[in-house]
Amino acid sequence: MAAFVSFHWGWLLGALLLGLAMGWISVVQHGEGLSKKAARVIAGLLVAVIGVAVGRVVPGRPGYWLDLGLVMLAAYLVGCAVGAALRDRLVARQMAAGRIPPRPDPAEPTP
Amino acid sequence: MRGLFRWSRKWWPGLIPLAVLWGLAAWSNTVPLERSLAEATSAALKNDVLDKTRIEVAGRDVTFSADAFSEEGRRSALTSVEGVPGVRLVNDRTRLVPEAKPYVWTATRDVVRVTLSGSTPLPAIKARLQEAAKAALGGVEVVDQTAFARGAPARFDAAVLLLIDQVARLKEGKVTLSDKAVTLSGMARELGGREAIWAGLRNLPEGYTVAANDIAAPPYVFQANKDPVGGTLTLSGYVPDNKVHAELVAAAQRKFFGETVTDTLKASIGAPKGFAEVVTRALGALSRLSTGALTVADREVTLSGDALFDGAANQIRQSLGKNLPEGWKAKAEISVKPAASQVDASVCQRLFSDVLGQGRIRFESGQATISADSAGLLDRLAEIALRCPTAAIEIVGHTDGDGDAAANQALSEARAKAVADYLVRAGLPADRFKTSGQGSSVPIAENDTEEGKAKNRRIDFLVR
Repeated sequence: MAAFVSFHWGWLLGALLLGLAMGWISVVQHGEGLSKKAARVIAGLLVAVIGVAVGRVVPGRPGYWLDLGLVMLAAYLVGCAVGAALRDRLVARQMAAGRIPPRPDPAEPTP
Repeated sequence: MRGLFRWSRKWWPGLIPLAVLWGLAAWSNTVPLERSLAEATSAALKNDVLDKTRIEVAGRDVTFSADAFSEEGRRSALTSVEGVPGVRLVNDRTRLVPEAKPYVWTATRDVVRVTLSGSTPLPAIKARLQEAAKAALGGVEVVDQTAFARGAPARFDAAVLLLIDQVARLKEGKVTLSDKAVTLSGMARELGGREAIWAGLRNLPEGYTVAANDIAAPPYVFQANKDPVGGTLTLSGYVPDNKVHAELVAAAQRKFFGETVTDTLKASIGAPKGFAEVVTRALGALSRLSTGALTVADREVTLSGDALFDGAANQIRQSLGKNLPEGWKAKAEISVKPAASQVDASVCQRLFSDVLGQGRIRFESGQATISADSAGLLDRLAEIALRCPTAAIEIVGHTDGDGDAAANQALSEARAKAVADYLVRAGLPADRFKTSGQGSSVPIAENDTEEGKAKNRRIDFLVR
């Protein structure tokens, strides 16, 4: 894996930055995003695909492309999580300073 | 944490550029990655001894084909490939080099090249043998068609190196090593080559044997040509050693009184047994011919040419094959020189004097037995006598001044008679000859030097 990452570091960095950007945006983005059901389906699919990759079922170049895709996706997701967390902390700090009015959480019904 | 789940449901739009990025990465990286893995795999196999190694990389999967020289080597090579960083799967197409039984190695030499074929155990040994063949054969093309096989006998390389040295001694032929048995056939390049090969094979490593050695040597040839026009006797070919060389040249000088001896003989081993004795006798027969050639090839004597007269031709034919050592054969192709024109008595006398001026009739020391070396000279005298058939000839013997006068007288008479007997045996009528002896009473030179004495020991022919 170390060899794989070092060979593709530029592309993985790209995916990570893309993720950071997406995570940064996602905290303040309006709207619901994917439904819970769709998220579950996607998660299930992802697990299956990871299973295929780990089991080394797909041979040759397609197998490599699958590995590459999954590692880039992992980098993207890490980027998203880090980006979202950073944005969330920034928002929380600004809220505490009173510069931004608190926004009701759409997931929780307002009393 | 709950926030993370909530936010993650909004991350999907980024998957679209991610997919584009993925496509670009796959498009630009596949070939460089494969090349890098192939290089790394080759580098990892650098110390493994393999044949027919082939590495194909598809994505991160390596298809590895090779012939290994042992099961250990095969497994070690496989481990090396599996250990290359970045390799995902190894498709193992390795196998062991086939085992040869019997284990055969062959070198075939023809006029232009040496072909090595059969089996060799390892690349290093194959290269070493090829180098050795090139060095030993100096300039001859070496074609190596050997293939790798397991199961070589112990010390295979040492045995083959020795055999390559023997191939260098061949003109053409084949050397085969089958397990530990050596078979040789063909023709040695030089005289003595066969013996050198036999000697070389004694150094084969322990356990190796010579199953068959059918190496033939080129014929051991000795030639002598008598050319009466140029007045030369040319000796060519081989003699066993310098001693025999000197003896044969000395014998030729005694037997051929009127010819200059041209000597191009070379010393070489490989002479058949009895060579010197047979050649000396055959030279005596050649000396009796007007013109002729003597060839001794191995154990076959061939004498061809023209005798001076019928009687001499018959004697030469009969005597050449007589009492030869065992295994020898003789062939005489003798014709008779056309008879010379008849001349009168005075011309005959001059001819006798000329011939006896060139050479002396030799006798055994202190005896009346004519030396075999004088046969050629006596044939010339007989031929002259035939040219004046009506003339009576007196044969007079002389001795030097040494010894008792009465004994010298008797010896001179007996020697004159021996010469007359020889001529009668050659076919001349006995009544033409009268013999007498003068002892030491008519010297033609001083008796106080060896040279003078030799001149005084003589036979004179007087035509009446």
